[in-house]
Amino acid sequence: MTEALAEVRDVTKHFPLTQPLLAAVQRKSKDVIHAVERVSVAIGPGETVGLIGESGSGKTTLGWLFARLHEPTSGIVRLGGRDISHLEGSALRDIRRRVQIVFQDPVGSLDPRLRVWQIVGEPLQALERLGRSEVRDRVAALLPTVGLPAGSLDQYPHEFSGGGRQRLSLARALSVQPKLVILDEPTSALDVAVQAQILNRLVALQRELGLSYLLITHNVAAVRYVADRVAVMYLGKIAELGGVRDVLERPLHPYTKALLAAVPAPEPGRRRTRYRVTGEIPSLVHPPPGCPFAARCPFVIDRCRTEEPLLRIPEGMERRWVACHRAEELVDVRPADLLAAEPVSGSDSAAEAE
Amino acid sequence: MLPPQPQPRRGPRGDVVAEPLLEVKGLSVDYEVGAGTFHALSDVSLELPAGHVVGIVGETGCGKSTLAHAIPRLLREPPARIRSGEVRFRGMDLLTLPKWKLPLVRGTGISMVFQEPINSLNPAFRVFDQLAEAVRIRKMRESGQAPGLVPGSEGFDYSKREGPKPADALTRPLLPSRPEARKGFSRVLHRVDFREDALDYLRLVRINDPETILDLYPHELSGGMRQRIMIAMALSEKPSLLIADEPTSALDITIQAQVLTLMKELIEEIRTSILFISHDLGVIAEMADDVGVMYAGHLVEFGPVDDVYEHPRHPYTKALLRSAPNQYKDDGPLPSLPGSVPNLSRLPSGCSFHPRCPLAKPVCSDDPGPVLEVQKGTAAGHEAACYFSEEVAGLP
Repeated sequence: MTEALAEVRDVTKHFPLTQPLLAAVQRKSKDVIHAVERVSVAIGPGETVGLIGESGSGKTTLGWLFARLHEPTSGIVRLGGRDISHLEGSALRDIRRRVQIVFQDPVGSLDPRLRVWQIVGEPLQALERLGRSEVRDRVAALLPTVGLPAGSLDQYPHEFSGGGRQRLSLARALSVQPKLVILDEPTSALDVAVQAQILNRLVALQRELGLSYLLITHNVAAVRYVADRVAVMYLGKIAELGGVRDVLERPLHPYTKALLAAVPAPEPGRRRTRYRVTGEIPSLVHPPPGCPFAARCPFVIDRCRTEEPLLRIPEGMERRWVACHRAEELVDVRPADLLAAEPVSGSDSAAEAE
Repeated sequence: MLPPQPQPRRGPRGDVVAEPLLEVKGLSVDYEVGAGTFHALSDVSLELPAGHVVGIVGETGCGKSTLAHAIPRLLREPPARIRSGEVRFRGMDLLTLPKWKLPLVRGTGISMVFQEPINSLNPAFRVFDQLAEAVRIRKMRESGQAPGLVPGSEGFDYSKREGPKPADALTRPLLPSRPEARKGFSRVLHRVDFREDALDYLRLVRINDPETILDLYPHELSGGMRQRIMIAMALSEKPSLLIADEPTSALDITIQAQVLTLMKELIEEIRTSILFISHDLGVIAEMADDVGVMYAGHLVEFGPVDDVYEHPRHPYTKALLRSAPNQYKDDGPLPSLPGSVPNLSRLPSGCSFHPRCPLAKPVCSDDPGPVLEVQKGTAAGHEAACYFSEEVAGLP
């Protein structure tokens, strides 16, 4: 593989919890949230890596680590071969030009009191110190590339629809011509029809500008469409990593299988089935010993509860990584097998009677 | 006073057909705000037979939630204004019912599950208080100690029940005033009498360790747990109709699958009817028997869910189904719908979809627009509001 554009190596991020006064006086060790635990991922030039997982799995934290919006507790964050893990001040500002981020919430991430040219041009003012007229010119040239009219320079964000706001966010990220864009749930606040417009635009921009993306989402379908490789996260760790088609068509980790089985597909005939994975995501403050998915896994064995599976290349496969003791045995278990084979009894809908 | 009993319904051959549980006829709702009048619902009609699950699907701002709130009359008026229409629930027109009687219908008659469980649970009360209160109200209504509508015949056994029959529940005064009227009222029941029932309902929604959970406050629970408690509360009322407004949209995907599986099991266990509102085509496919597709406040297509998904007869339904990335198979761009949803205060003339429609012809912009019509060559009950519905199958 060629030199990675951006890379995290064994990176860990803990967030300390506030401690009760008594515990602080007694100098007890602080409880921490284990948001990201020893994760390694690399993103090549022009590549899109999808990051899927549920809320609390550490996807957003990992994205922020790539953008160095968080400083890692341990481990290394590299950008273009350079260690940026603990940069500060102007050195950190320099790398901002090369990594930009599109935030999840298109309402909360746009200042309602600023006009479009101010919002989209803010990185230009902050990082390139351009003057007002230059910023306006650059923004006017930029807006059409994300599918917005150049004449909307003086509008306010509330005049745009959800999709329009997400385009503004994207334009702002692209304004300083970054190499890597972190897309944090870029479409989850949008309706399906608008989602498709944004995803298409992202793919077109990547081709034109040679961008790399880290696409953080819980939308498996969006990953399938946009990403080259995909990492599945569960409880701060990577459960599975590999080519997007490999992982989504032949998932190895039971959690990936469960996630794919849980996606409600608009296909008739899949209805009225029981989903076999139960239970909730365990606490990030006291992560369980052994495999984090053990409590919910339908294929759990004793070993899973005591010995933590490490991310490894499964036997007989290439370019795939999985953190499961039983990955090889479970190769042939399809996501659909996690749905009970028999439909729920007693269903007598008109649709089925036909 | 109950409204006059409706005439028996006649089927196509003149035979008497069972009254649907819920019937919405020509419902139009406006929001009057400073910026103008927004037509949130325009002439929406649909029927929900007892024991059925009807899904409503559409994009943000298409009027789904307005419909969900208009049926039990939970809209704040003003700014909302019900312009016209009828909502017949078990033979009563809810829109003409005096306001003070509405609480008697809600709960045991129509119950709701909202999108954000954290906004619907009271943060100042424990799970126990909120759940036991729902059980208490139902028990008091069932035993006739409190007025309120309880299900009459949908699979519940009321033969052993003492007190007034459900039919006259609405005509009784809220509180018995004269001593002789109080005779049947042994004592006012309290929430603490229903701890066991509350535990049962927590077990029903598959909550582990219900004794502990019962004494927690909503903020101490996870999102999936809160939503299951909302569902437990709604079900503990044993409603004839459950309106679920995006009940799983705030949940994670594996938790969503758990909650949907649970709801499906419960539908069969207690035979409640559900109006299921979602923007997710996949969720509707899993849950609903019939589906209604809404666009800009109009119901543009309605029918059995499999038939609508396989043979859409409205160009909007077709476009919506195609743009779901789940359907994406080949290389090339995702099919997307050009343009955006019209402003509800300035709806286009005729069919509201015509500015974005690939099949649009001059006739489509003429008022009044197309209305729902039965579609030939499709499953029974499949209707679409499009002049060129025959041509939809030919669209890419």
